Amino acid sequence: MGLREFVIRRVLQLIVTFWAFFTILFVLFRMMPGDPTSMFILDGMTPEQREQRIAELGLDQPLYVQYVEYARQLLTGDFGQSFIYRDPVMDIIVVRFMNTIVLMATALFFAYVIGITFGALMGWWRDSKFERGGIVVALIARSSPEFWVGIVLLSVFVYWLGWFPSSGMRTTGGELGGGFIARYGSVDFLRHLFLPALTGAIVYLATPTLLMRSTMLDVLNADFIEIKKAEGLPERTVLYKHAARNSILPVVTVAAIATGAAMGGSVVIETVFNWPGMGREMVRAVNNNDYPVAMAAFFLMGSVVIIMNFVADLAYVYLDPRVEYE
Amino acid sequence: MGTHNTSRRTVLKGAGAAGVAGLAGCLGGGDDDGNGDVDGADELGEQFPEIHFLVPTAGVNAFRNELATMVAENWEEIGFEVNLEELEFGAHVDQAVVQQDFDASLLGWGGTPERIDPHTFIFDMHHSSTTGEGGRNTPGYENPEYDELAELQVTQVDEDERQQTVYEAQEIIARDQPRTYVANEGGFHPYASSRVENVEAGLGEGFNSFWNMISVTPTESDTVRFGYPSEIISLNPMQDLATPDRQFVRLIYDQLYRIGPDGMPTPWLAVDEPEIEDDGMVYTVEVRDDMTFHDGEDLTIDDVEFTYEMYADSPTYGSLVENISEIDTSGNEITFHLDEPFAPFTANVLGQVYIFPEHIWGDVEPDDLADFEDENWVGSGPFQFQDWERQEELQLSAFDDHFETPNADTFIRIPGADVSQLVGDLEAGQLDMLGAVPQPAAIERVRDDDDLDMEEFAAVGYAKIAYNMRRDHLDDVNVRRALSYGVPKEDWVELVRDGMGTVTHTTISEAVEFWHNPDVEQFDEDLDAARAELAEGGYGWDDDGMLHYGADQ
Repeated sequence: MGLREFVIRRVLQLIVTFWAFFTILFVLFRMMPGDPTSMFILDGMTPEQREQRIAELGLDQPLYVQYVEYARQLLTGDFGQSFIYRDPVMDIIVVRFMNTIVLMATALFFAYVIGITFGALMGWWRDSKFERGGIVVALIARSSPEFWVGIVLLSVFVYWLGWFPSSGMRTTGGELGGGFIARYGSVDFLRHLFLPALTGAIVYLATPTLLMRSTMLDVLNADFIEIKKAEGLPERTVLYKHAARNSILPVVTVAAIATGAAMGGSVVIETVFNWPGMGREMVRAVNNNDYPVAMAAFFLMGSVVIIMNFVADLAYVYLDPRVEYE
Repeated sequence: MGTHNTSRRTVLKGAGAAGVAGLAGCLGGGDDDGNGDVDGADELGEQFPEIHFLVPTAGVNAFRNELATMVAENWEEIGFEVNLEELEFGAHVDQAVVQQDFDASLLGWGGTPERIDPHTFIFDMHHSSTTGEGGRNTPGYENPEYDELAELQVTQVDEDERQQTVYEAQEIIARDQPRTYVANEGGFHPYASSRVENVEAGLGEGFNSFWNMISVTPTESDTVRFGYPSEIISLNPMQDLATPDRQFVRLIYDQLYRIGPDGMPTPWLAVDEPEIEDDGMVYTVEVRDDMTFHDGEDLTIDDVEFTYEMYADSPTYGSLVENISEIDTSGNEITFHLDEPFAPFTANVLGQVYIFPEHIWGDVEPDDLADFEDENWVGSGPFQFQDWERQEELQLSAFDDHFETPNADTFIRIPGADVSQLVGDLEAGQLDMLGAVPQPAAIERVRDDDDLDMEEFAAVGYAKIAYNMRRDHLDDVNVRRALSYGVPKEDWVELVRDGMGTVTHTTISEAVEFWHNPDVEQFDEDLDAARAELAEGGYGWDDDGMLHYGADQ
């Protein structure tokens, strides 16, 4: 099978995966007990008002009708209207999704840049104190829950040293909204970003570090490294150009998958730092039976996982010509 | 249970001494509950069915979750079999209030200011007409004698007469125990005493009270930053609003009367108390003539009349004004003619209808009211809308043309992910006050912090355990009374809630002094009394201490 067929087949798989994912989401949410009117009942909604609201939301329709309607909306790029906010889901989640992406992309960027560098050096200097210490540090980081790391950072940098704000994305009281640069370009924003991003970076650091180290060890045992050394190339060149570059492949694959996983981790970090992102919105939507928002949130986050897996597959094929298309 | 008790019971039964006061041991339970005078049925029938008990998860409400465990332990000690089901809020409401699929259910009942008038507690929660799906009478309590009183109090414009009726109604509820009324929860709301002053923890609402928000004064800047553990859903007063939303909508929109800090309606846009004629069938209100809306337009009597007509057309709030048959105006006076007398009219209607600008809402179709987007939310209240971004902040600013200008120029509401994170923000100086009760550990930290302080407030609402009287086994008053004796109200308030709140035995909080009947029958934790109730009802216990119906039941 050639590259072309492989890609086509992979794209078809992608479509089927999306369909299955969407269907499971739909079924799961409709199986959840309660409906969106629940949260208003104790505030004085009468039974008649409740019936009326349920009819307005189309929840009195048979499930298959709701399913077809939701699929139709999704295909036209419309996530529907929030049951609780009564606003288009798109308006609610676009900004949240961006906030989450900016946070997690920063965290992952640092986790991978630092992780790959340290992992490569640990492999290069095997059996050194540096390597042994690095492994211990990485394992501790990997075993630490996100909320714990977040709370430790809060205690030190906010409550003790007072260097950073404790929560939110910007200092309150300023102008709200604004374009991309206004939102994410200010010093104030970076100060708010630092601790949550650091939390993510610490938690995600271990995987690339350890993986890079172990593949480095494999590559360094390979004959061609000896040859390169024998050719009299400088150590740095051998390390970076030959050993590290060849070791990076599995890390790239894992990075793509980790991006997806990090979307889930964002829920915890956003809660600890009150970050106005998708994770928090998702929790709210699930608690309030706000199906359209919850499904859109899960759908987007799940899509990142599915697409990143797809990208990982393609990247692997592209980066390593030895991979067979099967 | 110890074999000691079983053998004593066997001896007594052998002697044919059932019911001999002072001799019978405590049956079916703990070893050290004192000397009860309990015995059960001589011949046992079927075992008493398991009690399906719906309770909140610890995540939804840690205090009530703990209470549920304590209650279940006691009930099991009395001889009941208990199946505890922990639920998230929406699922809980759905199962307990809508589906009514439960035996017992531990939920709270919120005490918002409009519920300070006893009507909601006496009528909505206990009258037999409200037992349907989603109705507030979740136990399905039906008692014709009680219904008469609940109906009578609505018609009594004379407050003293109405008080007597409300008192009697509370006595009947206490006797019948459709629910165990556990405690008015109250609590502490924390604030930064170094950054704000003049806080007023209001009745039932603490810092969420209207009076607090207009009186709180920043000392270092012109801004007050208020943290709350959930998001505002909407500011459109015509949507079905949740309580936290209403607490902000009412800052922007005025009513003719506001519920005062004492819980009684006080004139607001109205110049004075309403003039009530014709045995409570006609209410006349004089409206202030010095009011403007936030966009500068005058607020006139026509706006008031328009508003009440708009409410009548509203699918969401039409029921609020459906008792008004006719409205007429003359000069600055508006007169409401009612279909039938409605004693809480001032508090629950005139005090709840927000006055809208006709020039903005005049052309909105009734069906579109709930979705109408007035992006600036123009009202006439002491605060005006400034800006809002979901999950981040809602900004209000003082409206200088109001007769009651707030003390803070800017008021910002910041939604938090949870209460402990908000307390952290308060400690870090990013918030000035919270409208939420911290967990006990955080309360200690607040106490120890020189920059922070707390105000205690009394609650109007309460935690309660409803018994589903549609089920045969809970239709028996002895069973419900026994279950109520198994609720450790005092321990819960003192030990679990760290003293926050007040034990209650009736549906109306003691904080609402005028309507609260202090002399109703009390149900404190007393497992012997519980067993005595069951014995009196003809139930008995097997050798394992499990509760059975009597053979003749």
